[in-house]
Amino acid sequence: MIKFYEKPFSKEESLSSLSPEVRSWFEETHEGLTPPQYYSFKLISEGNNILITAPTGSGKTLSAFMSIISSLMRKEREGSLEDKVYCIYISPLRALNNDVYKNLSKPLEELYASLDGEKKKISIGVRTGDTTQSERQKQLRKPPNILVTTPESLAILINSPRFLENLRALEYVVVDEIHELANNKRGVHLSLSLERLTDLIGKDFIRVGLGATLHPIDEAAKFLAGYKSATEERDCYIVDATWEKKTDLLTISPVKDIINASDEKIENKVYSKINSIIKKNKTTLIFTNTRSGTERVIFNLMRRFKYSEDSIAAHHGSLSREARLGVEDMLKKGKLKCAVSSTSLELGVDIGDIDNVIQLGSPKSVTRAIQRVGRSGHSFNDVAVGEIIVMNRDDLVECSIIFDSVKKRKLDSFFVPKNALDILCQHVVGMSLNKKWTVSDAIAVIRKAYPYHELSDSDFLAVLEYLSGMYVGLESRRVYGKIWYDEKEKTFGRRGKFTKIIYYLNLGSIPDASAVDVYTTKGREWLGSIEEEFLSRLKPDDIFVLGGKLYKFEYARAMTCFVSKAESKSPTIPPWFSEQLPLTYDLAISIGKFRGEFAKAAERDINKDKRFISLLSTGKTKPGKESSKILDAMPIDDNAKSSIFSYFAEQLIYAKYIPNDKFILIEKTRDRERKHHLTVFHSLYGRRINDALSRTFAIMASEYLGIEVSMIINDNGFVLITEKEINSKDLSEMIGDLGNIDMESLLKDNIRRTELMKRKFRHCAARSFMILRNYKGRKISISRQQISSQSLLRASEEIGPNFPVIKETYREILEDTMDLPRAKEIARSLFSGEISHKIINTGVPSPFSHILVSFGEADVVMMKDRRKHLRDLHKKVIISIKKGAR
Amino acid sequence: MNINKDIEAIEGIPILFIRPLSALVCSDLHLGYEGVAAERGIMLPKINFRKIREQIKLAQDHAHASSIIINGDIKNEFSKVHTEEFNEFNDLVRYLKEDLGIKNITLIKGNHDNFIDRLERPLGVRVERQQVLMDNFLFFHGEEPPDLNEENVLIMGHLHPCVSIYSSLGIKEKLRCFLVGKTRKNKELIILPAMSYYSEGLEVNSVSKSKLSTVLDSIAEINCLRALCICEEETLDFGTIQDLKLLNNKIL
Repeated sequence: MIKFYEKPFSKEESLSSLSPEVRSWFEETHEGLTPPQYYSFKLISEGNNILITAPTGSGKTLSAFMSIISSLMRKEREGSLEDKVYCIYISPLRALNNDVYKNLSKPLEELYASLDGEKKKISIGVRTGDTTQSERQKQLRKPPNILVTTPESLAILINSPRFLENLRALEYVVVDEIHELANNKRGVHLSLSLERLTDLIGKDFIRVGLGATLHPIDEAAKFLAGYKSATEERDCYIVDATWEKKTDLLTISPVKDIINASDEKIENKVYSKINSIIKKNKTTLIFTNTRSGTERVIFNLMRRFKYSEDSIAAHHGSLSREARLGVEDMLKKGKLKCAVSSTSLELGVDIGDIDNVIQLGSPKSVTRAIQRVGRSGHSFNDVAVGEIIVMNRDDLVECSIIFDSVKKRKLDSFFVPKNALDILCQHVVGMSLNKKWTVSDAIAVIRKAYPYHELSDSDFLAVLEYLSGMYVGLESRRVYGKIWYDEKEKTFGRRGKFTKIIYYLNLGSIPDASAVDVYTTKGREWLGSIEEEFLSRLKPDDIFVLGGKLYKFEYARAMTCFVSKAESKSPTIPPWFSEQLPLTYDLAISIGKFRGEFAKAAERDINKDKRFISLLSTGKTKPGKESSKILDAMPIDDNAKSSIFSYFAEQLIYAKYIPNDKFILIEKTRDRERKHHLTVFHSLYGRRINDALSRTFAIMASEYLGIEVSMIINDNGFVLITEKEINSKDLSEMIGDLGNIDMESLLKDNIRRTELMKRKFRHCAARSFMILRNYKGRKISISRQQISSQSLLRASEEIGPNFPVIKETYREILEDTMDLPRAKEIARSLFSGEISHKIINTGVPSPFSHILVSFGEADVVMMKDRRKHLRDLHKKVIISIKKGAR
Repeated sequence: MNINKDIEAIEGIPILFIRPLSALVCSDLHLGYEGVAAERGIMLPKINFRKIREQIKLAQDHAHASSIIINGDIKNEFSKVHTEEFNEFNDLVRYLKEDLGIKNITLIKGNHDNFIDRLERPLGVRVERQQVLMDNFLFFHGEEPPDLNEENVLIMGHLHPCVSIYSSLGIKEKLRCFLVGKTRKNKELIILPAMSYYSEGLEVNSVSKSKLSTVLDSIAEINCLRALCICEEETLDFGTIQDLKLLNNKIL
């Protein structure tokens, strides 16, 4: 059972659970216990599974390791400490060495130094992809007592029979940064590794999870603990010390009137604001949302304010390991004025003292905001100081609500992906390398992992059939089969001499991105990267968005794309995939609620006379009495207050309606060139839900009008783009149909033919070992594979809907990328009227739809009747050619 | 669709029927593609052979031909013969003869077909290197320039032509097509689309001329050829490559 532990133990109870040596060293070197330590020392030493969440700097790692070191110390004193691994510490961080030194090696050395300089006997070793061959050999001969590793390296270790012998005495597994694992396939992968490990050594170990803020926290505990039998969860205590750190937060609008200010002005003000914050502080950490954003900020700070390369630096996943370590080191030594990062510094890498964290643009989640801001403040007792600088009008409200939610402790929720078949494929191959299995034994082990507890027999058998190559003829299975599977006996095992190598070289959950670098033709300035699939859609002169700016496509050479700055105001081709993470549902609802409340207040403050309206367009309006009541209670600056007020006032005056969480505004309008009809749904529920809703409406519209429909989606709503007008009657009927449709099968039928499906399928195919990135020692890059996702997908569909790679692609799209259950719920509410709607006509898009129309991401719903579609296309080509001839 | 009184492009399929010869013509099968891909670590389902069989059957149900001419690149791999290709090739010949009643099988050796000479006798097929003249029809694979003399009609493979068309919403459609028109010497020319399921096709209206075949360029001006596109169950004439090139610069 999962239990919350809310009453801390006393200091004496906690300390007396440590060995005398460890206790006296701890008391000498630490001023006292941090909040998590009041729980963890005792609970871990009693052998409980435990999940601890607390902010960075709260002595989290030590709270887990004191008890473990203490137990090893007892063994040493009894003379029973052997050259065996007693503890595995797993972290999702790639460059672990630095951290391990600070958090583990150093305390251990100090501990031994305090024992009159005794020789250190408890050993620590690191095992990652970077560990050298000789080091690995050494670890095999003399295993470290504490092994520090990554999820991927662990998956390899459990397939090493010789190393497994060293793991038989394992007592503890520590999973660090659990918030970075529980919500994705990487964590799912780890959960299976842990169950396999338990099975291989034939006993349970104590599981300790460490993480930052997480909600719902019991879900994370279930993920950590898993099941001890078919029906019974393992026990696990939860210690939540999340809210112990104080915060000082402010959302800043760079200009007084973000709606009317030019892009250039906003940009200038953003940078001068950043500069003034950097100047005020010793060390500032800036988070952007994308890698290209990081590069842009560095570039601008250097150019505008003459910062040197010794004073500011970028830190992101695409930099080399050396470069990243260099930056971390400079930060720790206090040499940098400022570091800029996308996500890589969000995790618990040790970076020394940060005075201030700036977030540029919305972090899209309350949890992420807390984590990022939590990187500031010298110690656990200090106040974390952070600002969000908003970048555009939609950001404005979103960011204001994010910090407001932090203040009110309203966290957004995460979910654990369930029954991911691609990850399962990898582990089944790994299991078959360990030994011969019966189907029932294997499935029993797999179902102990929380993400697979409800795995169906049929899905598991489909995986076995796939992996044994049953989708091709007998004579080809020699090449296709990774395992053998005896259907009659219900047994399976390893097959083929290359299988072990395939497993080692291809395991993991992070797909290879087929990124194409984008440069300017003049000056060859690197601007960022786009997906290969997106490049294949670009024609010369197409205008597209990259990192919030517009560029004109010129030409491409291999994996490089050349562009020039675009003069036009809108893209001719919208982006297909966003680099950005989706807005969380909980946050979306909070923003929707705010819209509802604030709209009422703003309405009372609006003067509909001419003077007010003319003032509005100059951006000189100030929030009125009612509006101020709401805005003054929020952690936002004065610019933000007046910008929010004028944003709402403009929408009210122009469109009369403000959408909210219980009211969807549907706006019929035209694009700038008046070429297409736009139907804008202001449904602020986050992209995961809008993705499902928009496709549902697009499919209905396509069938109603017999045309192809393209759409644009973002967190705040979606747009249907059509050649013909979708009239109000059609729209009302579509909403009426929401009560009768089966959204899941409708979507499944449709996403078959979309870009999203092609892209996700390729990722799933790679994770399922259908496309090997590395085979027989040959590394194959995606661009060299010479086969399009399109034909790969079409061919796999021929096998049938239960082919695991296809099934997983649908699952990932419907459950992970989209949020089908909630989308269904919103569709149902829209149908029943619980969520009301209003259809309006506007000449040009209303203020609330500008960002969506210009910068959302897109996909297409093709006509179901392909024959008719091609005939229409043919007709248009012929007409167009005739026109051209005239 | 009739291309002229002698030649028909069978609706919705990349296969020609030549009436005076009572012959089906198709090209670029790339049998064994999946086997070769699997050797490179891409485990494709085996679809190509099945789809090819289905299409030839559809064509034969319509045409009742006595002959078939496969205009090169029957198999995929350059150097070595895979058992897989061999088996599929064997099965195809048997299927054509026994199930579809096509008596005469002529194979033009393309750049990928080194092994089929050896099979000429045992399988009872006719194998020609790069080209063959039948009546006044010249079939040539197209990798090497053909020897020209008596023919009136030239039929070529190798190119894998397709055209890209953007709909009004900017969505790209790639359609396989026959290219038909006149040679520089004013003879009839037809270029066959690829049969291979996995063929991506060469977008003849968007790639630069330098990427197109020099053999083709020596025979004809590609801009003047018309694209007969394989659509759903029908084949539609989309006009000349010249026009389709212009069209791509402005979305419909």
